[in-house]
Amino acid sequence: MVSSDSRYATPVVSRRTTKTGVPPVREYLAQAFRYRTFAYYWSRADIKARNFETVLGRIWLTLNPFLFGLIYFVFVAILSGGGLGSSDRLAFIVGNLYAWGFFSATVITTVSSVQSGAGGILGQSAVPRIVLPVASTITAAHLFVRSLGAYIPLHLIASRGLHIEMLWMPLLILLTGLLGLGFGLFLAVINVYVRDVSRLLPHMMRLWLYLSPAIWVYTRVSTDSNLDTYARQNPMYSSLTAWTMAFGGPLVEGGRGMAIHVLVFGLWAIGTLTVGFLFFISREDEFAIRN
Amino acid sequence: MNLQSETDAIQIKNLSVTYVAVAEVPVTERSKMRKTTKKHNIRALNNVSFTVKTGEIVGLIGGNGAGKSTLLKTMVGVLKPSSGQIDMWGQPHLLAPGMGFNRKLSGRENIILGGLAAGMTLEEVRNKQQSIVDFADIGGFIDLPTTTYSSGMFGRLAFAVATHVDPDILLIDEALSAGDAGFRDKAVAKVREMCDKAKTILVVSHSTALVGEMATSAVWLHRGEVKQQGLVGDVTESYVKFLADENETAQMDRLTPFLQSQHPQDQPQPEA
Repeated sequence: MVSSDSRYATPVVSRRTTKTGVPPVREYLAQAFRYRTFAYYWSRADIKARNFETVLGRIWLTLNPFLFGLIYFVFVAILSGGGLGSSDRLAFIVGNLYAWGFFSATVITTVSSVQSGAGGILGQSAVPRIVLPVASTITAAHLFVRSLGAYIPLHLIASRGLHIEMLWMPLLILLTGLLGLGFGLFLAVINVYVRDVSRLLPHMMRLWLYLSPAIWVYTRVSTDSNLDTYARQNPMYSSLTAWTMAFGGPLVEGGRGMAIHVLVFGLWAIGTLTVGFLFFISREDEFAIRN
Repeated sequence: MNLQSETDAIQIKNLSVTYVAVAEVPVTERSKMRKTTKKHNIRALNNVSFTVKTGEIVGLIGGNGAGKSTLLKTMVGVLKPSSGQIDMWGQPHLLAPGMGFNRKLSGRENIILGGLAAGMTLEEVRNKQQSIVDFADIGGFIDLPTTTYSSGMFGRLAFAVATHVDPDILLIDEALSAGDAGFRDKAVAKVREMCDKAKTILVVSHSTALVGEMATSAVWLHRGEVKQQGLVGDVTESYVKFLADENETAQMDRLTPFLQSQHPQDQPQPEA
């Protein structure tokens, strides 16, 4: 918490308690912004340490989501009983799983970023703790963008062509990162108190995947008003519907356009991030004690 | 914001820090099939107040569990006050060798990470990088992953990075045991150099001799409270006398009264 006073050459730092436990947000963000370069280098170090800079690492990075999509493509074909289906269906599943993988990786790595000692940072430094999850989000976004190259050949084989909706992709990447970060921040705090959260998290994310229009098309529920209503309560409904449209998927005749889905997605992302951020900074001193 | 004096560097007013710890109560009776745990509110600091003037070197002394490290961590922002406040005229920096390091990266890469984590800008780190490499003196290992380093080599590099920060307020918490014996004199000399550059220093050490040598005044913490503060000679003399008279384990054990009330039959009985 920093404020400046013109009578003094150096800024003043204050440590004091607040009623809600939330420190002055503007000063907290200013302090966190000082460590933006550290966040970037921490992210780079993470990518290097996970061997994604080696040849095999890069191959695995691009191949992993594709193989994941292929498994679900066969799985869905077996369940539907109608044969493997078209390359368009494969492209649909793989594309959405790329987006889902980015969201899921952001949530999981955000939770784990404050679970360990983080190189002594949690217990010994003045680095605002939000810097670590932000670095994790940068890592997830970086890996997602690099891995998208493997999707392009599939898009061409499926003859999906170019669409104006593709121009929304940079915004969708940003909103997906923010939504994942927001959920991750909230769960990261819960995990500090209840360690089982990190063990349950992969299963929760898998169930959430099945409840979201990632491997099934959103048009499947749009004709049933009850199902449609329930489906829309899922934050990932608007997200994955927008991604489906961006990748060139089917559009509902007379249905909601891309902009509406992005708007709802944006509201979810900003709202979740706000709640997650405030909850996180109100409890961040617990990380040093309970880790 | 209370700005009481233009010469104050640190003002600590009625500072208390309480945190929750979970203790396991061991099962000693066979009829009990489960362990029991109980949460305790540990009052690590209780109504601590003192002031440090700009340019002072203050020694923090006290037994294990007295609250010295808790105080430094609260100043740095790792912990939050439960009540009271700390005001500082300058950015505090806790001397923490190895902070921010990633063991899978090379020494040179960790210099950048560690320097940035310590609050230096990228430009500062790059300017000091060669000086850090020279000070660590680990030869060609600097470009190898730190997983290949011995503990002494890692300690040298970590200490080299940590001591190239130029802080306004330097906080030292038992950080003078880095590296091997041959590195020790170099480390102490480097810390003294940091002390000359820093505006204000708080140094924690179990060694009253070291505190006596480095500090001009001292604060004695006992069970989270200020027992005495003043000239370093007076305070260290009182502390040494206290140590000779009291059992240090009894000084730090704040859970004994609680545990005795829960399981009186488990407590050691006085010798006949």
